[in-house]
Amino acid sequence: MSDKFLIETKNLCKHYLNGEVVALDNVTTGIKSGEVVVIIGPSGSGKSTFLRSLNLLEMPTSGSIIFEGKEITDPKVDINIHRRKMGMVFQQFNLFPHKSVLENLTLGPIKLLKQSKKEAEEKALTLLERVGLKDRADAYPSQLSGGQKQRVAIVRALCMNPDVMLFDEPTSALDPEMVGEVLDVMKSLADGGMTMVVVTHEMRFAREVGTRLIFMADGAIVEEGTPAEIFDNPQNERTKAFLKKVL
Amino acid sequence: MNWFNELKSDFILNFVNDNRWKFITSGLKNTLIITFFSVLIGIALGMIVAVVRSSYEKNYDEMHKGVKKFFLKLANSVCKIYLTVIRGTPVVVQLMIMYYIIFATSRNSLMVAILAFGINSGAYVAEIVRSGIMSIDQGQLEAGRSLGFDYKRTMIYIILPQAFKNILPALANEFIVLLKETSVAGYVTIRDLTMGGNIIRAATYSPFMPLIAVAAIYLILVMFFTKIVSILERSLRKSER
Repeated sequence: MSDKFLIETKNLCKHYLNGEVVALDNVTTGIKSGEVVVIIGPSGSGKSTFLRSLNLLEMPTSGSIIFEGKEITDPKVDINIHRRKMGMVFQQFNLFPHKSVLENLTLGPIKLLKQSKKEAEEKALTLLERVGLKDRADAYPSQLSGGQKQRVAIVRALCMNPDVMLFDEPTSALDPEMVGEVLDVMKSLADGGMTMVVVTHEMRFAREVGTRLIFMADGAIVEEGTPAEIFDNPQNERTKAFLKKVL
Repeated sequence: MNWFNELKSDFILNFVNDNRWKFITSGLKNTLIITFFSVLIGIALGMIVAVVRSSYEKNYDEMHKGVKKFFLKLANSVCKIYLTVIRGTPVVVQLMIMYYIIFATSRNSLMVAILAFGINSGAYVAEIVRSGIMSIDQGQLEAGRSLGFDYKRTMIYIILPQAFKNILPALANEFIVLLKETSVAGYVTIRDLTMGGNIIRAATYSPFMPLIAVAAIYLILVMFFTKIVSILERSLRKSER
């Protein structure tokens, strides 16, 4: 079963305060190569915790995560090797403010993938061009708009040649007029066949780009299916109630 | 012009006669040597202690049980004891303990003073650096880690350069304090700048010239250093608007 999925989680649990708060409650699911899995749900439902636990930014309390056939929750595994293959994009961009755009993009490839500076910069510039920011390569993050920052953050993750991209509410911190430019980049990524896991409140994006939707509430997966199934014909009462509020 | 002639003869008495100015210059040399090397020790020690302390605060709860976790706890305890003891006792007393007890057999008082002031400064630098590390947004650490950098390299490439920029004014202040604190080196027979002035005073019974000269030299050193730091600060700020 495990080689069928790119990422598989088994009975994933995350507790805080010695079990008083349950953020993830027995989450078992799998993500296949090429899928665009969109996770939706009310705030506090555990969707960000779930996403962040996929590359162990959150350490699960129990359960296991298997990535490319390797159980990465095993303490003996060097997670740093596997994180290179999982690009992550944050709500708050988290660009490195003391480095220029180009330095942000090439730091990982040069130091971790041992690429030459020239090689890394060429790749970074090609990708920057694709998101329309080639002319900002020498700018510092503080000189960019929110939408530009997030596009650079996406490129930073892509420069590591990841096998999967994790998006943690990538448009939630953006002014409304900048949401589109970021979603466009994500859509073209999906069209290019990138495996993606996206936590978002953008329902239109979920419907148009997602190949599978997961609805989470109270730390558990309540319902999953194709966007059409979930949006047009939700089965669970909580899904219905949530969709009624957001659509 | 009587006062001018008096001043002139006072100057000649204190600095020219018997080449007394050499006490000032050789004292200045020792002061600079002690300050320079204890700053280096202070930074190195302070960085290590700060990284141990902040990685304990940030990582300990999440770590798997094992040798690493045990050593982190041990290192953190050692660091805490170091900070408490060093910050809780006067530097003069530390200096004398080093010279008369710990290194009682060593006659290299300059080396002992460098160590004593370096270890003392390290404690203050550690808390300054730690506050700098803590001031950096958690997202920076997460961004570094999610690219695949381990904790150490995230610190070196991402956290510490930003922290350094934030703490530069506090760090500069600490070094100004250190430079002036070395004036107690005379307690362990070192002829530093202060001691040099004092030797002249004791020989000439004329306190005004040597002490004012010593004070002026400290002042010039501090002003010079402050200037360099502000230039450095400005060049580090170039990544901000």
